[in-house]
Amino acid sequence: MNIIIPIKQVPETSNVKMDEETGTMVRDGVESIVNPLDLYAIETGIQLKEEFGGKITVITMGPPSAEKALREAISMGCDDGILLSGREFAGSDTWATSYALSQVIREAGKFDLILAGERATDGDTGQVGPGIASFLGLPLATYTSKIVELTKDSITVERLIEEGYETLRLPLPALLTVVKEISYPRLPTLRGKQRAKKLKLKQWSSEDIEIDRANLGLKGSPTRVVKITRPKVTRNGEFIKVVDEESLETAVERLVKFLQEKEIV
Amino acid sequence: MKYNPVTKDIIDELREIVGVKNVITDREKLEAYSHDETPAEQYAHMPEVVVTPGSAEEISRIVKLANRELIPLTPRGAGSGLSGGAIPQYGGIVISVEKMNKVIEIDYDNMMMVLEPGIVTNSVNEMIKDKGLFFAGYPMSVETCYLGGNIAENAGGGKAVKYGVTGRYIMGLELVTPTGEIVELGGKRVKDVTGYDLKQLIIGSEGTLGIVTKAIIKLLPLPTDKVDLLVLFKDVRSAIAMVPKIMTGGRIIPTGIEFMDKLSVKTSCEYLNEHLPYQEAGAMLLIEVDGNRAEQVEADAETIGELCLENGAIEVYVADNYTTQERVWSVRRNIAEAFKVYSPHQSLEDIVVPIASIPDLIPELERISKKYEIQVPCYGHAGDGNLHATLVKNPQHTMEEWYEIEEKALREIYTVTKNLGGTISGEHGIGSKRKSFMELVADPVELELMRKIKKAFDPNNIMNPGKIFDFD
Repeated sequence: MNIIIPIKQVPETSNVKMDEETGTMVRDGVESIVNPLDLYAIETGIQLKEEFGGKITVITMGPPSAEKALREAISMGCDDGILLSGREFAGSDTWATSYALSQVIREAGKFDLILAGERATDGDTGQVGPGIASFLGLPLATYTSKIVELTKDSITVERLIEEGYETLRLPLPALLTVVKEISYPRLPTLRGKQRAKKLKLKQWSSEDIEIDRANLGLKGSPTRVVKITRPKVTRNGEFIKVVDEESLETAVERLVKFLQEKEIV
Repeated sequence: MKYNPVTKDIIDELREIVGVKNVITDREKLEAYSHDETPAEQYAHMPEVVVTPGSAEEISRIVKLANRELIPLTPRGAGSGLSGGAIPQYGGIVISVEKMNKVIEIDYDNMMMVLEPGIVTNSVNEMIKDKGLFFAGYPMSVETCYLGGNIAENAGGGKAVKYGVTGRYIMGLELVTPTGEIVELGGKRVKDVTGYDLKQLIIGSEGTLGIVTKAIIKLLPLPTDKVDLLVLFKDVRSAIAMVPKIMTGGRIIPTGIEFMDKLSVKTSCEYLNEHLPYQEAGAMLLIEVDGNRAEQVEADAETIGELCLENGAIEVYVADNYTTQERVWSVRRNIAEAFKVYSPHQSLEDIVVPIASIPDLIPELERISKKYEIQVPCYGHAGDGNLHATLVKNPQHTMEEWYEIEEKALREIYTVTKNLGGTISGEHGIGSKRKSFMELVADPVELELMRKIKKAFDPNNIMNPGKIFDFD
């Protein structure tokens, strides 16, 4: 079973600061990590490999420093890594990214399954996984929460939908985007780290793969970020004070009336 | 000791000293100053009045008033203590330093800061982070505790193996003595042997020898890189035996070596819904190394990891980024909270033994756990020999049974600890919680000297009375 896992390096966002003037994130001194939701795809891939054998290749598009994300995935148990890097990719939107990654996957050789995270914690679009499936003409299951059965030529999965779960059987090769429910990511081991450190990663640019350069980077991206605004928080809180038994009664009445007005009760 | 109550006239006088706004007499508001992080039902005591002064001069006047009227005073920081140190055992006046939270000076050339005592410890680090500096007086409560309380308790924490405890980073103090004088002890001098080191005597004196109104702290270069190792061992003995080997065999002083027994890890993991493979491991070590060169820190972590594997570790996990570091540390940080879900009544201890004696301590804790039918999870700062052996009330026991068991089990644990060359508190302090056990561990001569020192500083015994020891 050959598995490909596209991952993304994202800024660690739990302590993030926003620039009040530009509305963009302050990136100085912010650590880069593997997109937390990609870890679930990595774990799922490793579990499949442990059960059925095979090989996992992690791929990413980004600056040379994104190599660190690939090595983290390898230290968890993935086998190989490909970094697609070059100035020509800068500013790619989800369409251009999906296109570039799908060309990497074509070049990488035969595969049975592509596993991706639900979305990246920075862009938050959830489009690149389905985008790759579209460019490669693969059957797709998004929000996969469980792998039910894997056979030689098909995979049966449960996916999370608004009303509950849906069971799908997809012919292989296929692409799944997974949700947190599917697994618990393991921690990298010392042996894994040592292996990842020694491993020579494939570093590809647009020269190394068959690719239409007109579809790359900012100029190849059909979408544009025109404006970023921060939503205004408008909470109109009302304090209902209780000081004695008498005011308790009126307070309760006001609270009930308020909830009725808002059609909560 | 018979103290006088706080009368209306005294309240008026306090208002005159600190201003009307800075005198709290409203019962609901006083309640917040009646407890710390020890169980309120056992240790809390209401103050008669709380004052929030703004300067050493104001505190000096309050202290003089208290001496004149024989009213007990209790200095208070953030109230995050674990020994009852900030609780007004005899009522009286609580002096909260919450409004004295200014930065007086940042002295980059000397790598020092001059601060008021009401500043939150972590906010100091936030201020100087960008300059590549940090303050290593770093208890686990760093995000809440005030510098003043941190100094009064001489707190330690998860980084003490390499950096030591708070006292090491206090260069000088301004103190209002228990008789109301204002004195400066120490200063911006790296070396100073001019007479007795009274500054060091004040550090860790739990607010019984005066109130710190200003502190000069020493800063260190902030490490840029750190790696954590979570190491699984089959049993406690092999985990603990590893601790000295890291330093002797690896020739590395890690930032911290934290120990967690199986019960602690399991309870915390279940609480956090964290799926570490804890079932296989009888104990875990969480080892952190830091430094300013990524390659060096990585190499140190690798050396320690290899050493652990050579010495029977089942697995070594490596956390070298925020995601994974947060995962492993939150298991350690949430242990106490997780046990509160199982049973809200606990006695959180911080016994300390020579590190080589930890393996002999653990079976004794297991014996005591069985004997009294209570859980005694054990975790903590193994690299310092400082363990949080915590007594957790069995939900089947009544409160009366629990109080009886707590007293007996504590006495047994403390006796065992003493026999191993240890003592009853490494970082939380004695306060009121452990006072009755002082005679068990302190030499009578030592205790008598302490009482004489206290008398010399505080002839009327008005400064935080009822803490550490009593005068009969």
